[in-house]
Amino acid sequence: MFKTASRTPAGLRYHSGTEAHLRRAVIDTVIEVFDGWSYDEIITPSIDYYSLFERGMGQVEAARAFRFTDTDGHLLTIRPDVTASVARAAATLLSNNERPLRLSYVANVFRQRSHSRTEWRRESLQLGCELIGLAGPKGDMEVLAIAVEVLERLGLQGHFRITLNNVEMFNGLVEELRLNATTADQMRQLISTRDCAALEQFLSEHAPAFVEHALFSRHTQSWDKRKTLAEAQRAITNPRSLAALDSLEWLRNMIDSLGLSEFFEIDFGDLSRLDYYTGLTFKIYVNGMGVLVGSGGRYDELTANFGRPEPAVGFVLDLDSVMEALALKNTAFREMFNRDHLRVEDNNLAALFSEARQRRSNGERIQIGS
Amino acid sequence: MSKLTIAFAKGRLQYDALHLMSQAGIKCSAVALDSRRLVIEDESGQYRFIFVKPVDVPIYVEHGIADCGVVGRDVLLESDADLLQPLDLQIGRCRLVVAAPVDAPPLDPYALRVGTKYPRITMGYFGDRAVAVEIIELSGSVELAPILGLADCIVDVVETGQTLKDNGLAVVDVIAASSGRLVVNRASYQLKAVAVNDLIDALSKVVAEEDFGGRMVEASSRMIA
Repeated sequence: MFKTASRTPAGLRYHSGTEAHLRRAVIDTVIEVFDGWSYDEIITPSIDYYSLFERGMGQVEAARAFRFTDTDGHLLTIRPDVTASVARAAATLLSNNERPLRLSYVANVFRQRSHSRTEWRRESLQLGCELIGLAGPKGDMEVLAIAVEVLERLGLQGHFRITLNNVEMFNGLVEELRLNATTADQMRQLISTRDCAALEQFLSEHAPAFVEHALFSRHTQSWDKRKTLAEAQRAITNPRSLAALDSLEWLRNMIDSLGLSEFFEIDFGDLSRLDYYTGLTFKIYVNGMGVLVGSGGRYDELTANFGRPEPAVGFVLDLDSVMEALALKNTAFREMFNRDHLRVEDNNLAALFSEARQRRSNGERIQIGS
Repeated sequence: MSKLTIAFAKGRLQYDALHLMSQAGIKCSAVALDSRRLVIEDESGQYRFIFVKPVDVPIYVEHGIADCGVVGRDVLLESDADLLQPLDLQIGRCRLVVAAPVDAPPLDPYALRVGTKYPRITMGYFGDRAVAVEIIELSGSVELAPILGLADCIVDVVETGQTLKDNGLAVVDVIAASSGRLVVNRASYQLKAVAVNDLIDALSKVVAEEDFGGRMVEASSRMIA
């Protein structure tokens, strides 16, 4: 017999004790940073139409969601993502609010099917922010600066790296090489897996003129990333890619002048899986963690799905990965939330309760002796 | 400099891979190599080698427990792991093939039983051709399956073809060429960029030299459509 009484379904779990407390502390800290940048929290419905996420995430990603039907037969899902729902709110409910909109969220998301073995969880908690209605690198910079501040506040300074790319760099090349969807996807795969030899082979078939470019055989493995931009600017000629490079260069300069250079790398090989990105994309890595801790980017066409096209940029952190990173680093942040309680005992229960009340108001953590 | 952990597939590829490493100046003492230890350090102390079953290499690397790995492309295709594959080490060359008994009638596309260690690749290959397959997942001596009537054909790796021949089987189609690959964890590639770069550089030099030495190089290692 299949015993469900004492079993949790695959990919779902409890959090308790110190861990639950620390999760709460991380959430509060991240929200505090978002709030400090005057991002208002938005709480989205946990259950929504499947079609929302199909539009918002693309069919492949949306198909990973849990699905069921509404009483009227429409397909519903427990949200696999928050951005799509935020974009809809921005285009509808908040359409008359002053721009740019600055919104943040804390929400658990659910995915029935994982896309990799490292992702065993089917419920995860996302911490994110979205800046809607501000175009160009200025908005990109704001979101990147917030990401850095969040990671620093979590005690991860010196342990993380954010890689920057711009999808237009790749899209420009696809257009220039006149690749169809299948071959474009092949090229994406080769670049994304840094399979240089196969990439050269691919280019010799589809774009013989490009094989000569050192950039092409190496741009997926450009180690000296400070030279990356300059090299790319010499080799690239199509206007779309060049515009992407310009915007990356603007960011690079701004990052330098903010003194944040050590946290960033530019990497044209780090292509994103989500098809809603239209410009900047970035990924957040933490030392010792084999998986991403967070990611983000610009999605200027998403809100058009809901009747109001406007520029938008945002990022999301995965709480479970953040927790794992903090556990690895054993940072000061963790220690800040190591806590004890005081146990008070007295035969006079009334006296005990009032003593406890007094001490709690001083910020102590009191356990009533039994 | 941060230490790199490299996972090696035990068996067929292991000795060629360790030979390449030593050519690249990354050596382990004979004592350590001869021992049965599953974790050893190289002489410089910059690398840690771990030895695991081939199918486990992508798992260790994808989780970032190992920064890099050396494993056959056949295993990578089957695992569908999200890894970087910066270098074809050109060792352990083989082909992934469909093979059937020499005297068998043409394969029936309406009901085909396939014995294999590679269920994912098999499903993909026949699926693309609208062939309905019953996959019989085996873990060894796959050649036996068609001989004893457990399957109509097999999907397996072939090096020289001798085993097939000895068992009365012949190649029906080549699915893909395979050889040993260096794989890298996505996060390690960013966070240990210098160390990973040094390793790729050192190995690619050796691979280029070995090639120059007159090794047979197959024209393409890409998936055959």
